[in-house]
Amino acid sequence: MSVLIRRHASFLLLLPAILLLAAFFILPTLQLVGLSFEGDAGAMTHYSRIFDRPVYVQVLQRTFLTSAATAVLCVLIGYPVAYRLVTGSNRTRLVLLALILVPFWTNLLVLCYGWLIVLNPQGAVNTLLLDIGLINTPLPLSGGIVAVLIGMVQTMMPYLILPVAANMARIDNRVLQAARSLGAPPLQVFLRAYLPMTLPGVMAGALLVFIMSIGFFIIPAILGGTRDIFIAQLIEMNINKVLNWGFAAALSTIVLVTTLALYAIGVRWFRLGSIWGQA
Amino acid sequence: MSDTLKPATGLSRRTFLTTSAVAGLGLSLGFPAVHGAKAQNAGKVIYATWGGSWEAAIKKAWFEPFTKATGIEVVTAQDNNYGKFQSMVESGSVEWDVVETNPDFQYIGAEKGLLEPLDFSVIDKSKIMKGEGFVTEYSVPQVLWSRLMAYNTKALGDKVPMDYTAIFNDVAGFPGKRAFQSEPNSGAFEAALLAAGVAPDKLYPLDIDKALEKWTEIKDHISFYETNAQAQQYISDGQASLSIMPDGRAMAAIKDGSPVGIQYNQSIMTWSSMVVPKGAPNKANAMKFLAYTMTPEAQAAIANEYTYGPVVPDAFKFISPERAKILSGGPQQQGKFIMANEEWWAKNLEEATERLTEWRLS
Repeated sequence: MSVLIRRHASFLLLLPAILLLAAFFILPTLQLVGLSFEGDAGAMTHYSRIFDRPVYVQVLQRTFLTSAATAVLCVLIGYPVAYRLVTGSNRTRLVLLALILVPFWTNLLVLCYGWLIVLNPQGAVNTLLLDIGLINTPLPLSGGIVAVLIGMVQTMMPYLILPVAANMARIDNRVLQAARSLGAPPLQVFLRAYLPMTLPGVMAGALLVFIMSIGFFIIPAILGGTRDIFIAQLIEMNINKVLNWGFAAALSTIVLVTTLALYAIGVRWFRLGSIWGQA
Repeated sequence: MSDTLKPATGLSRRTFLTTSAVAGLGLSLGFPAVHGAKAQNAGKVIYATWGGSWEAAIKKAWFEPFTKATGIEVVTAQDNNYGKFQSMVESGSVEWDVVETNPDFQYIGAEKGLLEPLDFSVIDKSKIMKGEGFVTEYSVPQVLWSRLMAYNTKALGDKVPMDYTAIFNDVAGFPGKRAFQSEPNSGAFEAALLAAGVAPDKLYPLDIDKALEKWTEIKDHISFYETNAQAQQYISDGQASLSIMPDGRAMAAIKDGSPVGIQYNQSIMTWSSMVVPKGAPNKANAMKFLAYTMTPEAQAAIANEYTYGPVVPDAFKFISPERAKILSGGPQQQGKFIMANEEWWAKNLEEATERLTEWRLS
């Protein structure tokens, strides 16, 4: 008996999690996919509607493009922060971690309303820029893609910084010392030694941000303008208002398949698995 | 549609039922010992609500006096959204007895077979205000509210917009953003058609093309709000100088001291409904509760607690003239409002949503 338990220990330890996932995640997800093929006019009713009317493909495009832009901005802003988080003094680290995590713990609606107030034409940012004479008329910051990106980048930043920092912390300092001792100037050390070694972390973080952004709903709805419609808004409308669950399921399935495909690409070519500690 | 879940959900429904049966057993074993004999005899009614300050108001105006009069305990539940409603009825595990909803659901829910017919031998509908779709086989109205034009008096320099032509036809005279809700059944389609010269009694069926053409004329001046709190914020701080929004929120902005005005002309009156889900556990009590809420006294009690108007005109006997002035359907609105056709909206919401999304991206 004890031999049996020992031999299958890892499986037994995982069993509760596997059962939980199977019952409450995998099965419902499969049901959702199944539901998307049940229409009045055959299995493809909902899918042909999605591809017949350009609006759905446009909304999908917009969702993916905005999410990609969020990921790129997170990399550009988050990379230096992650570097300081790894190389800074204990004090610097504590302050940075607090700054990164406070928005992470703040309610999303509160964040959105905060940005609405800060970014509006009479808000703090415009008032400041007008007062110091940088601009003459208020910038249209609120109610558009600028506000959406600000909100999304702020919310997603921890998902970029933490994997990148974890990757940076594992870098062997001796490699950089070797590069310097061989006469490479600092810029070259960074470009040819440090950056390539941190790239897997960057890719992992960026993909994580991108995939999570696709499901966003509240931020584009509140901070966005006329054109800022995300696919999640249409799914929600069909689930909760129109009660066309088959159609909502078809939209969800498209998002699911796209996300899985991107994840597979990430694992295969960009070592996305490294965020979960895979070598 | 009501059958679409059946083949796929067999297993999880069974699992779910077992779980809820176990939980239910625990509850029924635990409850009688805790509660008094009166509540135990008369039973309870489970009321699904929007929650918040509204819940506090109906608790005071309806639940407490109803329990006092009948011994039936009212228990509230949250998340009264349509999606949850449908999944409860289709999985056969209904936890709600009375649900407050928007009136489109009295049609959508009936079409999908999610509703229990009401017992009008218990509920007296003779006192309820007359109107299209007000009372159906499956629903009674709860309270009245309106979608109307609110404006920021500071942004407009004390110029008063008299009707929707101020929003759609006169951007120069009434500058600034116009705030509309991001969902189509928010009054802004009706407003556009009225501004385009459609007669109020010829509004429905709404001409969506014509409404959106009118929207296009002011496309750069529209900002969308997602929540009513956001509408209140926009109109209070002048980010929008005009908006079409719920009267209660506009009134809240005025109460907060914001420079906001309300125009009752062409206000679009609607209501909230109460329905009983098919398979409700305490159906008989649900009918008694609904009967109670349709009395003039109960309608006056909620109108005195919250700014929504009574659906039973006799309730005004118990409401002071000052109070009546701020209620939807009160004297200030007489002769100025238009009733929303909620049946049209229930049938056309999906199409209208698709068209609005297309318009937003074009």
